[in-house]
Amino acid sequence: MRMFSVSHKTVFVVDHCPYMTESSRQQIECDMLTKSRAQGVIPLAPVSKSLWTCAVECSMEYCRILYDIYPTRKLVNYIVSDSEFHILNSWRQEDQSVQELMTALAAVGPPNPREDPECCSILHGLVAAVESLCKITEYQHEARTALVDLADRVANRGRIICLTNAKSDTHVRMLEDCVLETIQEQNKLAAGSDRLMPIQQCELVLVHIYPQGDDTLVSDRPKKEISSVLSSEVHSVRAGRHLASKLNVLVQQHFDLASTTITNIPMKEEQHANTSANYDVELLHHRDAHMEFIKSGFSGVSFTTRCQKDKGDLHMAGSTSRDSGLKETVTLKWCTPRTNSVELHYCTGAYRISPVEVNSRPSSCLTNFLLNGIFTFTPSEIIVISHMLSCHGGEIFLHMLNSTRSTLEDPPSISEGCGGRVTDYRITDFGEFMRENRLTPFADMSLDAAGRPPIERAKAQLERHTRYWPMIISQTTIFNMQAVVPLANLIVKDTMTEDDVLTCQKTVYNLVDMERKNDPLPISTVGSRGKGPKRDEQYRIMWNELETLVKTHVGTSERHQQVLECIIACRSKPPEEEERKKRGRKREDKEDKTEKNGKELEEKMWTQDSDRLKGAMEREKEDQSESEVIKDSPDSPEPFNKKPRLATEEIQPLEKSKGPVSLFSLWTNRITQANSRKHQEFAGRINSVNNKAELYQHLKDENGLDVHENGKATR
Amino acid sequence: MPTVVLMDASLSMTRPVSLEGSEEFQRKNLAVHGLTMLFEHMAMNYRLEFTALVAFSSLWELMVPFTRDYNALQEALSNLEDFDKTCLELALQGVSTIMQQEWGSACPCQLVLVTDGALGIGRGSLRHSLATLKQRGEDKKFPLPFPFPCKLYIMCISNAEELQTTDAMDNLEQLLILSGGEGQIFTMEGPLCLKSVQAMFGKLIEQAYMPFHAVLRCGHLTSDVQVFPRPEPVMIDEEVDPVPKHVLTELEIVGFIEIADIASPPVLSRHLVLPIAVNKADEVGAGTTDEMEEDTSTNQMAGKSPNFCVLLHGSLKVEGMVALVQLGPDWYGMLYSQADSKKKSNLMMSLFEPGPEPLPWLGKVSQLGPISDAPENPYGEDDSKSPFPVQPKSKRSYAQNVTVWIKASGLQTDVQKILRNARKLPEKTQTFYKELNRLRKAALAFGFWELLKGVAELLERECTLLPDSAHPDAAFQLSHAAQQLKLASTGDSQYAAFEHNITPMLTDFSGGGGGSDRL
Repeated sequence: MRMFSVSHKTVFVVDHCPYMTESSRQQIECDMLTKSRAQGVIPLAPVSKSLWTCAVECSMEYCRILYDIYPTRKLVNYIVSDSEFHILNSWRQEDQSVQELMTALAAVGPPNPREDPECCSILHGLVAAVESLCKITEYQHEARTALVDLADRVANRGRIICLTNAKSDTHVRMLEDCVLETIQEQNKLAAGSDRLMPIQQCELVLVHIYPQGDDTLVSDRPKKEISSVLSSEVHSVRAGRHLASKLNVLVQQHFDLASTTITNIPMKEEQHANTSANYDVELLHHRDAHMEFIKSGFSGVSFTTRCQKDKGDLHMAGSTSRDSGLKETVTLKWCTPRTNSVELHYCTGAYRISPVEVNSRPSSCLTNFLLNGIFTFTPSEIIVISHMLSCHGGEIFLHMLNSTRSTLEDPPSISEGCGGRVTDYRITDFGEFMRENRLTPFADMSLDAAGRPPIERAKAQLERHTRYWPMIISQTTIFNMQAVVPLANLIVKDTMTEDDVLTCQKTVYNLVDMERKNDPLPISTVGSRGKGPKRDEQYRIMWNELETLVKTHVGTSERHQQVLECIIACRSKPPEEEERKKRGRKREDKEDKTEKNGKELEEKMWTQDSDRLKGAMEREKEDQSESEVIKDSPDSPEPFNKKPRLATEEIQPLEKSKGPVSLFSLWTNRITQANSRKHQEFAGRINSVNNKAELYQHLKDENGLDVHENGKATR
Repeated sequence: MPTVVLMDASLSMTRPVSLEGSEEFQRKNLAVHGLTMLFEHMAMNYRLEFTALVAFSSLWELMVPFTRDYNALQEALSNLEDFDKTCLELALQGVSTIMQQEWGSACPCQLVLVTDGALGIGRGSLRHSLATLKQRGEDKKFPLPFPFPCKLYIMCISNAEELQTTDAMDNLEQLLILSGGEGQIFTMEGPLCLKSVQAMFGKLIEQAYMPFHAVLRCGHLTSDVQVFPRPEPVMIDEEVDPVPKHVLTELEIVGFIEIADIASPPVLSRHLVLPIAVNKADEVGAGTTDEMEEDTSTNQMAGKSPNFCVLLHGSLKVEGMVALVQLGPDWYGMLYSQADSKKKSNLMMSLFEPGPEPLPWLGKVSQLGPISDAPENPYGEDDSKSPFPVQPKSKRSYAQNVTVWIKASGLQTDVQKILRNARKLPEKTQTFYKELNRLRKAALAFGFWELLKGVAELLERECTLLPDSAHPDAAFQLSHAAQQLKLASTGDSQYAAFEHNITPMLTDFSGGGGGSDRL
């Protein structure tokens, strides 16, 4: 579809000359109630609209339908013409509304019958209309700017709808000639201007309006090419409802609209709340919503319309038929929905609607129902679902649903393809991830500090959140641990606050605490024989994984770096030390009788663990830990005060040299004896391991927060 | 996109091809050889495509209805008999019927016409059909263009020179234009032999049946996927931007949205997103034959290693969400879990119309950002809210109280509303003036001053008809309103201003807090 077709710009030129004050002679009885009331009252004389009133209200109806269905990109410029022209609005999008035009029309008022008819002419308006068509719209400007060198691809076409009372066919021809001449003149002018564009194609629609009961002086004429630029058609119509239906037909032709009548809509009567009557409502929309019917030439086939609201769901069922005669409308039968669940339908098109009689009672019942989500339920048989009415943010759309066989039927199930045999995907975690990465609309042009539009920020967030994201449960330990959640949630943030860092550190201390208590870790045993890795090995895996996660974010900011440093400083000691600690704690527990429950639990766990320590190496370790205890306990307060600071403020290698050499060499020897695994990297962490013991004790006394804030000062 | 293979089974297809020193081939044999190659390729790399086989001469016959069973197609092909003369128009009519019966009139299709370029003689020949194009009634229209979008591939078991000696080439070109211009005519290069027919079908495969491989990406999580059917290039505005848009081979997820919020959006097309195991060594020369067994074993291996598509699909299904995916510059689509009737489910991708704002209720896609950037979670802490749908800047006519008097009943209803409220004054003072002002505004805009006078008279009469029991305020308000309408009907700018509202008269009885002394 072309953006800059003839329907991009429509100019209404409405005759405001004295003869338009003439009555349409269509009388309207306003005084309806008197019949049932006081007998002696003389009813008020019926009122009748002037030709001007008829022209204005029908053109407003044209605009109403147009704006309902095309809220943007289809523009109207409204001009009235008497002794001069009055332009009531501009091509700008904010001027495009019925209210805007009504306000301007009220200011103009009806034609002045006392004005000199000789000075007044529709020609002023027609000339202004051509000039207006040369003016560039913001959409044309935008497209031209975007295309730069190819700006000539942006066409300038338009339509002039002239509502007037012509005198004769000759008069009509004179008007056409005048328009053509003006176009030629204006095109010359426009060729040399930046703000104007020459008109490539113009459709002139002349509507001659005459009062009821008169004979027309102007004959109808179908569209004909007057020149390569201008085509013209003439409609001669009686004022009143004939004019209204003519403009209704025109708006459908001009904007590719079609009509759907929804029948048998059950509505409750105000007076009889327990019964409901059925009503029909006619809607206009883009004709593509009837694509299936048009192409297949179906008629009289049963179809179903479905009606859906923002939060609820309501069906319509029915049959289509083409009404014979002038009015072509597809009839769909209303049906109520079966379910209230949120479904994703295969929808091949969604088109804005506009009710033909917007303020009739059935129409407003239907639209209010859709807008407000009032819910009624009537079971009905469903044959084929072809359409669905649905409201999105105060706009009602007719959705066209696919009702034919799908070429994608019977596809291989996802479980048969790649990765289909894996059963422990982190489905729930990824669900949580998706919730965190939901999108929300931001105001236009809301760029962040780096000049990124919201969508780029969304992508950046996905990038950060997935830097380390194991897909299956057995690939991860930390994401299976509730205790890691606070850190995992915070570390992915673009900017961390001081509080966030504290929370992360608290998480780390908490893990240290768990390790000290020798809490079991949710490490998967899938794929490994026996009981899986030993507890200390489990913690080693956990700490490694946590480090991996945090390392991927370390470059984000200084504070992210701090979290990594905290982990490095606190992460687990070699296995020997663990053993030692367990024993030390056991001793403590004996002294501390208030923590009975905890002690029992821990003891149990410890015994379980010790059962497992069967290999010779383990026994050796125990021996080793005994010796360590002696070393460690006397000076425990001292390293505690110093080491954490060192860990965060100084570079690792430096610390290494400062660390207790004896332990280092002892441990290295032990490892070399034990096995050939990659233990060298542990050497560098010995210092921090040592400190961790102290930190932990401190934590226990003072809570993690104090530790960080007061550091050495607390002791 | 289903495929119809339309195979010429006329006698001319049995013409022998002269080959030095080897056994004698008919053109039909060459055609069968080429189609076999096509079917083998599809069975391997494009196996979800539905294909039907139609043979034609002066009549047509649906040999194999739409199927994914390429063995069945192959078998039918080898059992093909020879018939009489070529009559393409009837056969095309048949294709049109078969397609619409099976897939409706919106489903795009590919038609592979295999012929020797001898397009019949006399009545029923293509030449005759094309010559009489414009002399037909509604009921005997030429079947092209089809009501559904169609790509027409014409495979000539013949070389270009041979076709140009008659008007066959011209006719085929005209046929292609008639069908809508999408497609191509393929001819054989060099001598008519197995090799050249292979080369020709190779070109067809390359153009129309190469699987679309892409990388699905969500941050650092990726998966190699095949998108089936191949996404077609899309043209938005042939005048301003005549370059068709192609889906990129990197599909980047930009975020997630609830199904209720995306609300059954209109889509251009739907595609299966199938995770594939990319064999790195094999990547360059993909699509060659004899990989069947190797293929299945790699698939078995691949089944056991975690794949992002499966994870994504599982979570989308459980959470009832869709993933918004970027297909190109200013072009988006959505990924979601689609279950078929057999409870099998799959990752599906739907393409939105290209453009910055494909769905009005989402607003501009470039303006969608992460919820963490919002001052407070727009979904609420307990997911009770949603930032969607985005409200349009202006309300539609049906969402506001518009005044339309096209039909007399519209005007009568509005007048009656005023009178009804007038009789319930002073209780209904607010509604009375609201309705009065609505009527006044519309009458002023429509230049319908006569109505203002009429309603003023009605109100004055109501005033005289007030029963003795009526509240004294009613009379004051009625005559005040009548007077104001009359003033407005003079067009005097002081009283006829559009924005001006008639306000209730402050009386001793109206008890308007503190203002009651002002009368």
